[in-house]
Amino acid sequence: MSIADIRSGLATNLATISGLRTAPELIDNPSPPVALVNLESVDYDQAYQSGLTLYNFTITVIVGRAAERTMQRKLDSYIQPTGSQSVKVAVESDRSLSGYAQDLRVTNAGSIGSIQINDQTYLAAEFTVTVYA
Amino acid sequence: MSKFIATGTQVSLNGSDISSSCARAELVINAAEVATTDFGSAGWTEVIGGLKSGQVSLDFHSDFGSGAVSALFQDLVGTIGTVVLIAANGTAASATTPAYTAEVLINSFTPIAGAVGDLSTFSVTFPTTGEVSYATA
Repeated sequence: MSIADIRSGLATNLATISGLRTAPELIDNPSPPVALVNLESVDYDQAYQSGLTLYNFTITVIVGRAAERTMQRKLDSYIQPTGSQSVKVAVESDRSLSGYAQDLRVTNAGSIGSIQINDQTYLAAEFTVTVYA
Repeated sequence: MSKFIATGTQVSLNGSDISSSCARAELVINAAEVATTDFGSAGWTEVIGGLKSGQVSLDFHSDFGSGAVSALFQDLVGTIGTVVLIAANGTAASATTPAYTAEVLINSFTPIAGAVGDLSTFSVTFPTTGEVSYATA
């Protein structure tokens, strides 16, 4: 198991959302709607002999230009805890990440609002994911 | 040898290495206090060591996989088990990584525990029975 495997697994799960592009790593020029996987921190030694490590990821979902009326509804559908567009449902659709993780959980959606990318204002949200591996 | 951070304590039960599911291990060895205070104690209490006893406490991450820690404990309640703890992050007994072996009465098991959203864990505390042995080789 490597961190790249976990990133890839998260991106694969996110790709189950119809119409959402995914990237296992941050990219310079994201083309919304897109979900970007970023590793925030790692908590080692949760059990003896490296039996458990916590990987804390942030998934940034950028939906589109903030000025577009439909974007808020689109972002809402990604934030909902249930439904076919739910990021939480998609990320937790395979909690073992094809065997690379023991479990995972989407714990939080935050930083909901506008962000600046290349002089454009986009609507976005950040999802916190804890992976146990 | 020097001071150390406990990251690799080896924990086994009945020969199964369960270290990677264990987050805390503690072995306490006690001797009972037997009072010997008398009129010659000059106003102080006096005690001597009596019978020795021990206690093993372990915290685990629940796992019901085949051969995993929860499955291992499932059928052992009420039996005597052998716990071996190798201290100081060792993998074999040595002068600086002593191995303690204790027969314990597995008198409880909590298969389900944990609040919503938490990692599922369980803790056990077992009394020892008989001598707790200590090996350095």
